[in-house]
Amino acid sequence: MATLVIANLLIPAAVLTFAAGFFPYKPFLPGLAEHDVSERGEMPPAQFDKVILMVVDALRSDFVFGKSSGFKFTQSLIANGAALPFTAHATSPTVTMPRVKAITTGSIPSFLDVILNFAESDTTSTLAYQDTWLAQIKAKGGNLVMHGDDTWLKLFPETFYRADGTTSFFVSDFTEVDNNVTRHVPDELRANDWNALIMHYLGLDHIGHKAGPLSPNMIPKQQEMDGIVQQIFEAIENDPHLQSTLLVLCGDHGMTDGGNHGGSAPGETSPALVFISPKFKSISTGLDSPVEPHQDFDFYTKVEQSDIVPTIAGLLGLPVSLNNLGVFISELLPLWKNERHHVLLLLNNVWQMHTLVKTAFPHEAYEHPYSQLDCSDPSSSGMKLVCKWRRITDIIRVSDGREPAPPVILPALIDFCKSAQEIMSSTASNYNMAYLLSGIALAFLSVALTTTSARSIIFRLNAASLYFGLVLVLYGILMFASSYVEEEHHFWYWTTCGWIALLCLQTLLGSYIKREGISKTIFKAAALLLFHRLVRAWNQTGQKHSGEPDFVTSFLLPNPHTVWILVGVTYFMLSLSLGSHLCRHIPPTYHVLTHIAAAGIAIPAFIFKLSFTARDAPEIVRPVVGESGMRVLEGLSLVLIARAVFLLCALGTVWVISLEVWGRSPAKRNAPRGVELFDALHAILSIFLITQTRAHNVPLFLLFSLQFLCLRDALGLQSTQTQITISTLLFAHTSFFALGNTNAISSIDLSNAYNGVAGYDVGVVGLLVFLSNWSGPVWWAWGGICLLASQGALFGYLALQTLFIAGSLLAIMVACTALRTHLFIWTVFSPKYLYAMAWSLGWHLLVCCYGLGAIWWAMGVS
Amino acid sequence: MNRHALITEKKGAGPEKSDQKAPPSPAPSPSAPITTLDSGLARIYTHLHPLLVLSLFFFRFQATVEDPVTTLTNGLAPLGILQIIYVVLCLPATGSSTPSSAAKPTPKPSRGKKTQAGKGDGGVAGRTVPAMLSHLLTTLLATPLLTIILILFGAPVTSKLWETLLCAAHMSALAIMPLVYVHGVDEGRWWEVASLMSPVDEVFGAAIGTMVGAWAGAVPIPLDWDREWQKWPVTIVTGAYMGWAVGKLLGGTLLRGKRIDLG
Repeated sequence: MATLVIANLLIPAAVLTFAAGFFPYKPFLPGLAEHDVSERGEMPPAQFDKVILMVVDALRSDFVFGKSSGFKFTQSLIANGAALPFTAHATSPTVTMPRVKAITTGSIPSFLDVILNFAESDTTSTLAYQDTWLAQIKAKGGNLVMHGDDTWLKLFPETFYRADGTTSFFVSDFTEVDNNVTRHVPDELRANDWNALIMHYLGLDHIGHKAGPLSPNMIPKQQEMDGIVQQIFEAIENDPHLQSTLLVLCGDHGMTDGGNHGGSAPGETSPALVFISPKFKSISTGLDSPVEPHQDFDFYTKVEQSDIVPTIAGLLGLPVSLNNLGVFISELLPLWKNERHHVLLLLNNVWQMHTLVKTAFPHEAYEHPYSQLDCSDPSSSGMKLVCKWRRITDIIRVSDGREPAPPVILPALIDFCKSAQEIMSSTASNYNMAYLLSGIALAFLSVALTTTSARSIIFRLNAASLYFGLVLVLYGILMFASSYVEEEHHFWYWTTCGWIALLCLQTLLGSYIKREGISKTIFKAAALLLFHRLVRAWNQTGQKHSGEPDFVTSFLLPNPHTVWILVGVTYFMLSLSLGSHLCRHIPPTYHVLTHIAAAGIAIPAFIFKLSFTARDAPEIVRPVVGESGMRVLEGLSLVLIARAVFLLCALGTVWVISLEVWGRSPAKRNAPRGVELFDALHAILSIFLITQTRAHNVPLFLLFSLQFLCLRDALGLQSTQTQITISTLLFAHTSFFALGNTNAISSIDLSNAYNGVAGYDVGVVGLLVFLSNWSGPVWWAWGGICLLASQGALFGYLALQTLFIAGSLLAIMVACTALRTHLFIWTVFSPKYLYAMAWSLGWHLLVCCYGLGAIWWAMGVS
Repeated sequence: MNRHALITEKKGAGPEKSDQKAPPSPAPSPSAPITTLDSGLARIYTHLHPLLVLSLFFFRFQATVEDPVTTLTNGLAPLGILQIIYVVLCLPATGSSTPSSAAKPTPKPSRGKKTQAGKGDGGVAGRTVPAMLSHLLTTLLATPLLTIILILFGAPVTSKLWETLLCAAHMSALAIMPLVYVHGVDEGRWWEVASLMSPVDEVFGAAIGTMVGAWAGAVPIPLDWDREWQKWPVTIVTGAYMGWAVGKLLGGTLLRGKRIDLG
């Protein structure tokens, strides 16, 4: 037992050590860039004194440039030369916070930012102390104004002179979030007190999440955004104080055809970028618009998203931010009539980047421009950059103190910048191998300890433990196949089918010997399989076929009444189940009251679900409750009801436990604390978990309950711990994917993360995110505990589950290490590692071990 | 108790389990494995048959990939005929040589015993009618049942129903038809088969192999190799054929007479 405890303690150690090496915290250069005139000559003159950055969340390139776009005015500007269009390549992870970082600092955010995206208030993610073009404007004494997505306020605390943040709370909100920004536009255009105005519109992203890029709401929203561009452009043309204002219209990321984002599909990584000002007419005669893309979503010239940073810096006459990896967009160079200025602009860019390159790839040639250097065949990426740097210094050297001719030096400057951008963006060199290997070693130690301490269970070669071995080994192998990581649900659906068949055969054998219950066994197995089939048809998951019709989209959502009947039945059954469990300890006269009390927990939870869904997905509530009902539901305070539901669940738990401890009749007091206690707690837990679940997924819990009953029946009294462990593992993983989760960041559901939370609290929100995304596995974990409660022995369960968790972690770690240069490392394997962290730390250690502790306690009390 | 293999000697698990549980009625006495007919032709053809069936399948594999419905439909008749030839030539028809319940199990099947099996079965002509009837019965009853099982195991419902149905038809012709031929409609024998109590022989082994093979055949489908053959139901049918051949071979030789123990 002690060995097993140590093995479990090694799991968090292994997970965290590996993570520290795998997601290195990117060092950044502190301080603000300054332009040293004595060293680097004059600064090229600024072309603009004000900038308006209009970010439209998830503005994919084709939304602006394509033929079916609603941006007709913007397209007319492109055609007459007042707007310069680009497709700005956004690197994965394509979620808002890392993208905003790229747009402001010019650096390529590390994968760690994804985690921080969910723990936004974490101070390590703020950019208040980093060098951004915002900080540069502020350092020059300018004022900044921000309206829109409050991610900006979290990233830049106390930076804005004036701000109105909007939270992206309900994706069903297509209008309020944007009106909240738009209502400030006229005032801001009149005001003369700002130097940078940032607007971040969320409505278009919400439409994407809700109904995809082809939603009927999409074109009107694009027209609305186009109207704002027009409003601003006309103000720039007509208002003297806006005369020299640059408008930048861009998306932070794109979206897939399913309307999601987070990964690295072409749709997600191709947001639009447009520089707009009447001044551009002097350098551009206009481009065709609308146009067809060259391929996928590539319209016009393709640039990196980080290129926005040096470009804005150059246009506003600011030093380039220290950590920038962007390259000045050369299409805008002709704005400066003097070619000397082109060289100066790029020299600033080169100088800033070479400082970064020097820290990453130190080489003496950076300090000694005359040293011997063999550039005939540069092998490493560090050498390549040194040689490109040497080419620049050589050109300067041969020009003998005079300024080199722009056509000679410009290509060398651009070449260095582009290479540095490419090499520095690939983070392959950043892994800390020592940490990676120690993490693997710790995980291996955990597996070894578990195996030795539980060898009597593991090496009992019966069908169940062989099946366990098969599942573990296959799962380990699959972790090396990117397609199977993306389509992991298939594995669990498949193994669960096999397991149900095996259980059926095992039970049949027993029934056959006893010559009874044969047809009952077959019926139960068929029911288990049927429910399993329904569960897996519920939500289409995975990457390959995402967005294809499933039970929810093709049947439930078009029939809102069915959704609510099923949801109502689920709550009713839970209330009934809880009531009956409580009644066991209560005299019959009070049974009706007890059931009413149980309903007292379920009914507020149901009202919360209605009220939440009225805001989250009004289209499935309105047809059921009508307009007046909607008004009532929208009037309720979600935070208060959620808190009431959580409190009632807590009170119910206390009630159940105290009845169990003190309410037993004396005759029964010495009887073992059976499964009933855990079943009653399971009912309360279910109410809590479905509070954290989207309405259309609530009926899944009804199916889980039916499966659980069949399973308990099928396993019977002679079930072994191996059988219970395998069942828990398989059904827990199946439920995870059936609820619509995948191994990609984009599928993390944040909609229930703020239930009952008024402010922002990382701990609480993090816990709620975990519980709402892992609601199915948590439900089944407790189901396993209920099955185990009748067993009285916990060792085998803990041993096998630890073996599975540690074994799968080991496989994932080895896969991530071996494939660290793989094309998909950041899009497939890294997210998988994050999920594995949540499975091992959250699900296994927190939930399952807590449940085991509860059984142990209950046995101790009795 | 530490069992060292899934498959134990016949004397092992079955009776032992019933002893422990002390059932109300005496434990059903296990049947003997099916023995192939004792003729030279039978002994040769039983090994030739899988080669014929597999070559037929792999010969048409490309066509199956290109157009599963047509190819699998056209393949049903040849498969049925081959299976009928196989059972007629090699297997004792139901009732003709049913080893009586009293027959003592043979731990090591000796060739000498086969003479008994060959007797009184009415010759090739007499076995042809039961074989054809078995085939008819299987196609009518087992195919729908297997289709339902395939769907429960994850076959698509809203599309490709024909593919699934044909897959089930091939599986039942491979796995179920010989079982029907040798066991007939004896309910007891069928429960024995369903609960894996039957001793392993080439018919039972082939049936299990088909099922396991079809199940394992689902593994390559989600891989991103983007090959045409990954589409439904090609891998399932392929798995079923290969599993059938392996199961038949092992069941008839190495594992013959042993019993599957899922304890």
